[in-house]
Amino acid sequence: MTTFIQFLITGLRLGSVYALIALGYTMVYGIIKLINFAHGDFIMVGGYTLFFMIPIVMQMGLPGWLAVIPAILVCACVGMLVELLAYRPVRKKGNNLTALITAIAMSFVLENLAQAIPAIGPDPKVPYTLFTSTVSIAGVSVSSATIITVAVSAVIMVALYFFTQKSRIGCAMRCVSEDKEAATLMGVNVNQTIIVTFGIGAGLAAVAALMYIAQYPKVYTTMGATLGIYAFVAAVLGGIGSLPGAMLGGLVIGIVQSGANTYISSSMSDTFVYLILIAVLMIRPAGILGKNVGEKV
Amino acid sequence: MKKKLLSLLLALSFVVSLTACGSSDTTGGTSDSASSDAVSDTSEGASSTAEEAEASAAEEGSDSGEFAGTITLGMIGPMTGSLAVYGTHVANGVNLAIEQINAAGGVIVGDETYELAVESKDDQGDSTECLNAMNALISDGIELVIGSATSGCTSSITSVANSEGVVLVTPSGTADALTTEMDYVFRTCFKDSFQGELAAQYAADEGYTKVGIVYCSADTYSAGLRDAFAAAAEELGLEVVAEESVATMTEVDYTNQFTKMVEAGAELVFIPFYYDVTGPYLVPQARSVGFDGILLGADGVDNTETTIPDGADLSVYNDFLFVNHYSTELATSDISTSFVESYEEAYGETPNNFDALGYDAVLVLKQAIESCGAFDADSVQAALADTSVVYEVSTGTFSFDDTGTPIKTGVLMGYSYTEGDDAVTKIAVTTLSLD
Amino acid sequence: MKKSETRTRYLVNFLAVVLLFAVSLVMSAASGDTLKLKIVPSIWQCCYLIIMAASLNLVLGFLGQLSLGHCGFMAVGAYTAALISLAFQRSGFYEEKSGPAFLLVLLLSTLAAGVLAALMGLLVGIPALRLKGDYLAIITLGFGMIIVNVINNLPFCGQQGLGQGSASSALYATGLGFSNDEKVQYLWVAVLTVILCMTAMLLFVRSKYGRSIRAIRDNEIAAATSGINVSYYKVLTFTISAFFAGITGALYACCNAALATTSFAFTNGSILNSVFIVVMVVVGGMGSMTGSVIAAVALFLLNYTIKNGAWVSALPAVLQNVFTYPMLVYSVALIIVILFRPRGIMGSREFALCDIPKWPGMVKAYFTSRFGKKEASRHA
Repeated sequence: MTTFIQFLITGLRLGSVYALIALGYTMVYGIIKLINFAHGDFIMVGGYTLFFMIPIVMQMGLPGWLAVIPAILVCACVGMLVELLAYRPVRKKGNNLTALITAIAMSFVLENLAQAIPAIGPDPKVPYTLFTSTVSIAGVSVSSATIITVAVSAVIMVALYFFTQKSRIGCAMRCVSEDKEAATLMGVNVNQTIIVTFGIGAGLAAVAALMYIAQYPKVYTTMGATLGIYAFVAAVLGGIGSLPGAMLGGLVIGIVQSGANTYISSSMSDTFVYLILIAVLMIRPAGILGKNVGEKV
Repeated sequence: MKKKLLSLLLALSFVVSLTACGSSDTTGGTSDSASSDAVSDTSEGASSTAEEAEASAAEEGSDSGEFAGTITLGMIGPMTGSLAVYGTHVANGVNLAIEQINAAGGVIVGDETYELAVESKDDQGDSTECLNAMNALISDGIELVIGSATSGCTSSITSVANSEGVVLVTPSGTADALTTEMDYVFRTCFKDSFQGELAAQYAADEGYTKVGIVYCSADTYSAGLRDAFAAAAEELGLEVVAEESVATMTEVDYTNQFTKMVEAGAELVFIPFYYDVTGPYLVPQARSVGFDGILLGADGVDNTETTIPDGADLSVYNDFLFVNHYSTELATSDISTSFVESYEEAYGETPNNFDALGYDAVLVLKQAIESCGAFDADSVQAALADTSVVYEVSTGTFSFDDTGTPIKTGVLMGYSYTEGDDAVTKIAVTTLSLD
Repeated sequence: MKKSETRTRYLVNFLAVVLLFAVSLVMSAASGDTLKLKIVPSIWQCCYLIIMAASLNLVLGFLGQLSLGHCGFMAVGAYTAALISLAFQRSGFYEEKSGPAFLLVLLLSTLAAGVLAALMGLLVGIPALRLKGDYLAIITLGFGMIIVNVINNLPFCGQQGLGQGSASSALYATGLGFSNDEKVQYLWVAVLTVILCMTAMLLFVRSKYGRSIRAIRDNEIAAATSGINVSYYKVLTFTISAFFAGITGALYACCNAALATTSFAFTNGSILNSVFIVVMVVVGGMGSMTGSVIAAVALFLLNYTIKNGAWVSALPAVLQNVFTYPMLVYSVALIIVILFRPRGIMGSREFALCDIPKWPGMVKAYFTSRFGKKEASRHA
């Protein structure tokens, strides 16, 4: 029984982080239909900003998690810069495939650039641990960071939902995601909308970074690579473009990983994550909560 | 078109400015290791002021200010990429040793002194790149090579070293088979089986009967140690009650594995991982699921104190022990303490095992060159193959066995939590040797 | 095109190939340190990169589907070839790495590598190719990771088998792994493999099948309505592509003394990974076989000379610091290529020896059209 509860808690702990990252992923994908491989590296940028800012913020006598504000700003800037310098010119010229490859290249650029900066370097850094208290449920202790992560993901999901449904710019985002040309005709500034999307997506990555390092306190330059892939898998699983889907997908991936760890084979949990993804895509190509869009002939 | 060019220019200047500022801040510091020409093979290579100062000090200290020539060592390691942390640390140790040797008058060959230099190559942690680097070094006429940092990469170049007749000293390739049947291959670290046996023997001596293992099946170091530990445990009558593996060495979550350890009733768990996961992840998570027995690691765990997050509950690091090469507390010679001091002075941080082993590789080669009075591969190989020679280096005093692996004694070290000042200290528990 | 011209073209190409093979034979007989340590290992690596890029081009360039797990098939090939050759050696079938017995084993293990990889391709392709675009990309990436993860955990070939322990040196001493001298001796094997594989792939894309898959790339629905069995052709192409990736794996096993699954991961340190193979295809031109060859060789040379070339040390210090991070250079270079030539160096054109005499005229035409345009716009 303890094993079962522990497996659920570990799954929740992993899943909540994936869910938070997947929210940013699905947001960007939903608008410009680009797998932003660099999204994982935005988390790395956020992680390093937090690593440097948390001690400064705490010296000023403020709670450490407020360091997330500069992290959001830095990440949003990096995200918009990446869009301006790489994605926008390529989008103008090439097709989906070249855009995807640019995204992969951008991810390499960010990782290696970080390594080239002397203050960062290749050594892993260990940031200050936040939210260390634990809550005991049925004899098993749960880290409060896990609970906060789930809560934050839920709040962000709801906020994003209302933002995209009700606000002016959110409306523009949905327009752009449906049809770029038509959006232009309707007077939507497509480029501006996309850059705002990138800013928000990257800002979310900073929040995700905060929750990630609260549970897994280590930052290193290649940390985003696998995280990004898992988050993307989560987003696809839940139905890409769907905000509740991203959250559900993240939790499912976390629990599957943890379950495979506990009950099947601990060194092959990755295999099961991808098998679940493949199975879902076979049965419901649009993902669990995705809308099945018919193809126009 | 104009906009495109402008954005491109911006991006390029961004890249260049970032990497450029990366180099200018730290002359003589960590960036030396990354750029291969920092200690170049020409004698006018000493460019930074720090090196010049040391060189002038050397002229006063030694009887011959002029070097008769330069002995260039080759070095291969992952300087960039995901394994860069190991390669850059080995390089730090190698560069420090070379600076010190040159400052102290160089290497004495016959009745002349030679300056040491290094030509370093980046293998990015990939075996093909490592092979290319090795071939390039050989074709540049280099006969003494230090590298590579990981067992995986090293195993792709040992056979080349042997067939081309080039001495290869790996600072941290621990896989057992690296040096067997390879006359030209030596190492300065433990081999996996030795460490695993030491760990198992410690567990048996302390009277533990139920042990568990958490390891990574996809990593050579971790799997090698696990094999050795499991085999020795069986021989010594220890019962391995549970064995769990993770997918990669950078895995973040170990709670499920340790829940199983607790359920199986393990009193001691062997954890062959590196310090970058034990500090932030493994130890706190193991304690959080209620495992309160002994956590026993190997040399990779050393330096965990640098990866303990601030603000974490420090009491979890109690009862966390590991087998290591050396300890500054138990050191019988000055050389390890002086190494630690000079390293801290040069790089501003405490050295880890990779630093120390890279440093030792240079010292071992220097001693071999001086004892045989030549620096071609065959003479150095013959000198290193002499198993009666004793080397005194920063990780202890040892001589090579007939495969080229050091016969060392191990040290059992550990972390201890003191409630009074709420701090974790590294302690040396005892010296270990096989019966 | 006239029939006689076609015949001349085939003849010229055939002669060029024969010449290439003859050169490799001559080099096998030659000796010298630079040749042994630098040139021949480089040619070996180019050989497997060329086949790898070309085989991915079948899927990416001709079929128009993005696969991010191509190195998984290569891993299957490499481990199969290595294990089969080791099995033969241990059963005493051959003692030394020479003679007809060894050549037979070499042939057998290479073919087996291709066949097993093709089987995996079939297994992966049937479910995966129901999806397309980004979904296919992520699912092939997943399959690539599954393959690596499974190999890691197979008791007889993971880190605990070939990657570690006596088996890794055994691969070198007795199995396929060639020493520098043997690489020179068997250079013709690598060159012959490239020639055969490239010919086979070129024939495939020029055939009825090739035309069908290009039709699918250009418009799937139109292709289906004109009677092309879309899913059959997709799976077929994917399987053939996996077959050649498997053969590449066998060449890779010959070239390396030790196998480690990390070499076949999604991204790793070297230029041999699923991402960089995609880069080669894109840079060379999607839909151009010769473009893949050019890009594979060019990227290899760039990578090799950044690490081992003299020209890097001639650069100013600032640039040298950039060049210590090779991945940074490649990624920026890739973005530049995509910005200025989104269709790759060759586009979908092929390089042909017979066209060389026409080049001056083409260059002239290009410049006049450009210049003329500018002139025109200035007047306007």
